[in-house]
Amino acid sequence: MSSAATLQAIIAIAGKDLLVERRTKTAFLSSIVFAILVLTILYFARDKTAVGDLDLAPGALWVTFTFAGMLGLNRAFVLERENRAMDGVRLTPATPTAIFLGKVVGNLVFVGTVELVSLPVFILFYDVPIWRELPLLMLVIALATAGFVSVGTLFAAMVVRTRFSEVMLPVLMLPFLFPPVVAAVQLTRGILALRPLSEYSGWLSLLAGFVIIFFTFSLFLFEAILEE
Amino acid sequence: MPLAEPAVAVRGVFRRFGYRWVLRDITMDVAPGEAVLLVGGNGAGKTTLLRVVSGLLRPSKGAVALGGTVGMVAHHTMMYDALTAHENLTFFARLHGLKIRTRIGELLERMGLAHVADERIGTFSRGMLQRLAIARALMPEPRVLLLDEPLTGLDDAASRTVIDVLGALEEQGVAMMIATHQLVELVGTAARVGYLVNGRLAALEQCGGDAGQVVGRYRELVAGE
Repeated sequence: MSSAATLQAIIAIAGKDLLVERRTKTAFLSSIVFAILVLTILYFARDKTAVGDLDLAPGALWVTFTFAGMLGLNRAFVLERENRAMDGVRLTPATPTAIFLGKVVGNLVFVGTVELVSLPVFILFYDVPIWRELPLLMLVIALATAGFVSVGTLFAAMVVRTRFSEVMLPVLMLPFLFPPVVAAVQLTRGILALRPLSEYSGWLSLLAGFVIIFFTFSLFLFEAILEE
Repeated sequence: MPLAEPAVAVRGVFRRFGYRWVLRDITMDVAPGEAVLLVGGNGAGKTTLLRVVSGLLRPSKGAVALGGTVGMVAHHTMMYDALTAHENLTFFARLHGLKIRTRIGELLERMGLAHVADERIGTFSRGMLQRLAIARALMPEPRVLLLDEPLTGLDDAASRTVIDVLGALEEQGVAMMIATHQLVELVGTAARVGYLVNGRLAALEQCGGDAGQVVGRYRELVAGE
């Protein structure tokens, strides 16, 4: 398959996933509602005199992003299970790499949109200086989301044929997400506290390393998972 | 005169699921323009054989060689309920790297679905879905077509349309493997019949065009196992 055909397949798969989601809206609405609920509950559950905004905000942001995103990742392969649509895709010349990348792009747009919609709610509840280092914060969000989506896409493909895929996905995924989410929380804390980058650049390297490893690992394993 | 290269060459194929062997030592060829009916009871291995030939399943042992693009119609439509018929076909055309939009219109017209092209397929009847699945399988102009119970859920008129399409494809040189229980309707399309009994190809014989004869022969082979 030529690189132009691979690109066409990636765009077709991502576009189809987003079109199906636009039609049904089930995963998007549930992810948004979940994100708003988590941010609201965490805000009202704390004792403001004991826990400051800067202490709670990084954890609240990443708990919200991680679990809201997870709701959407499962959907990516559930729609392939209906009518065994993935068999139809596998009968085309689209390579497993193109299928994986198409799914990753579709999931990145989905999770990115959920994050973009949740971010204003986060800003509304937590009095943190988000605008001062916004580009750096966006870089951290983009990196952590890329790692999260890569591994999430792989695991979603793995569990979709199991009976309780909605339960299995977080159970399998969370141990793998621990390092990048911890790195993302530490980085967010440093950014929001306006600390110099040199203080937390180690976490940035760790996060970038995890993203590269997760992405490569997922890309190579996906072909084996596609096969029954 | 040398024989034409087979469009499908199955060589010593075995397939197992766990400890259960579902296919045992299947060897057969299908020539271009030839249709082979696969006959067998439930669990005889018909669907598994078609999935192995299509490449969706790897054989546990043995090999399959195909002489061109493969199209497949199975029990499931392999399409998305939330998309329209046109959107589904456009999606698969893109994956095949095809840019010809007119082909989608032609296929929908040929399968009698042009009037519902912009309707979501989740609202389609079983017969409409089956005809759309055939349109999807024909999208890349396959040289090999695998059909698993292609007439399931179709009424007489729709069955006739599908049988006519299969006849035309045969004339165009498309090799076909058709797994079916609907012998009366499909026996006329086939040149040979493959009898699958307990995962083995018990016989692969010329088809006389008589469904009763095929059933009788199958019973003979089952009794002889």
